[in-house]
Amino acid sequence: MISCTEFIPAYSELFRALQRLGGRKAVEEFWNCLSDRFLTNLRELVSEHGLRGCWLYWSRTLNEEAADFTMELDEEQGLFRIRMHHCPSKGRLLEADHFLPYPDYCRHCDVLYRRVLEPLGFTYDIDLSNCDRAACTLTVRGPAKPHPAEGGGNPPGDAT
Amino acid sequence: MGVEVMDRRANENLYLHRDFHRALNAAVRYVHEHHGEDAVRSWLRDFARAWYAPLREALMRGDLDCLRQHIERTYGIEGVAVKVRQGPDALTVEVPGCPAEAYIRACGEDVAGLFFETTRTVNEAICEGTPYRSEFRGYDPATGAATQTFRRGPP
Repeated sequence: MISCTEFIPAYSELFRALQRLGGRKAVEEFWNCLSDRFLTNLRELVSEHGLRGCWLYWSRTLNEEAADFTMELDEEQGLFRIRMHHCPSKGRLLEADHFLPYPDYCRHCDVLYRRVLEPLGFTYDIDLSNCDRAACTLTVRGPAKPHPAEGGGNPPGDAT
Repeated sequence: MGVEVMDRRANENLYLHRDFHRALNAAVRYVHEHHGEDAVRSWLRDFARAWYAPLREALMRGDLDCLRQHIERTYGIEGVAVKVRQGPDALTVEVPGCPAEAYIRACGEDVAGLFFETTRTVNEAICEGTPYRSEFRGYDPATGAATQTFRRGPP
């Protein structure tokens, strides 16, 4: 059994194997398929709760992954952001002197989540410019949700 | 509403994200469906040879303790106690049930047909180039229970 604590290097090596089998296209096809089949929980949470669904999804995963992060949700401004100070996955890959990570490892986070969030009407941006230091910033924007006290708090479909 | 903030340092949590078992299961299924059985085994072999290189080096020196500790740690972190018998030239590990498979099933998903290769092929790859050979016997697809043996000897 591969421990769930050793999944990440297996995942990285899978990208390398797929690239050997079918080039970048094969890697992208896998990421698309994984997004469609595997991220159903993110899709359901965001469909039901809007931006708060992102907060609910990543609250669980990032804590279980013992990530070093700051996460913000501002529903009034329609903003959800994760500042990943040290990604546990990329961090592990970088710390292992004997292991060579897939060169474009971090881009799966761009493909997988974008593919869920953009069709639901959100904009998705991930800054991977510091991923060689296991750091990134993920931003999701959606429609602003007016504060109830400002008179804009009626739920969708409520004409009262 | 205002701004909600969650701020965490790595040492505030234990690294144990069991959904990675589901992701591995999905990956095994995908590679099998799109690229065939050999591709699954080739990927897992390459992974094991690279990631477990320090463990393989220990085995090359005949350090069976290192392998036993690795296996006990792998199952122990997920709450499964394995039964281990170790002699001077052999290590036998009886796994009462695979915690990865149990988690996948508990999430309502089927275990991929080649998921057992994450043990069998990985063990074989760890032993490659070392004096040891691995066997994977008695696999029960309903629970993932199996006996893993590592024995010094010719291939």
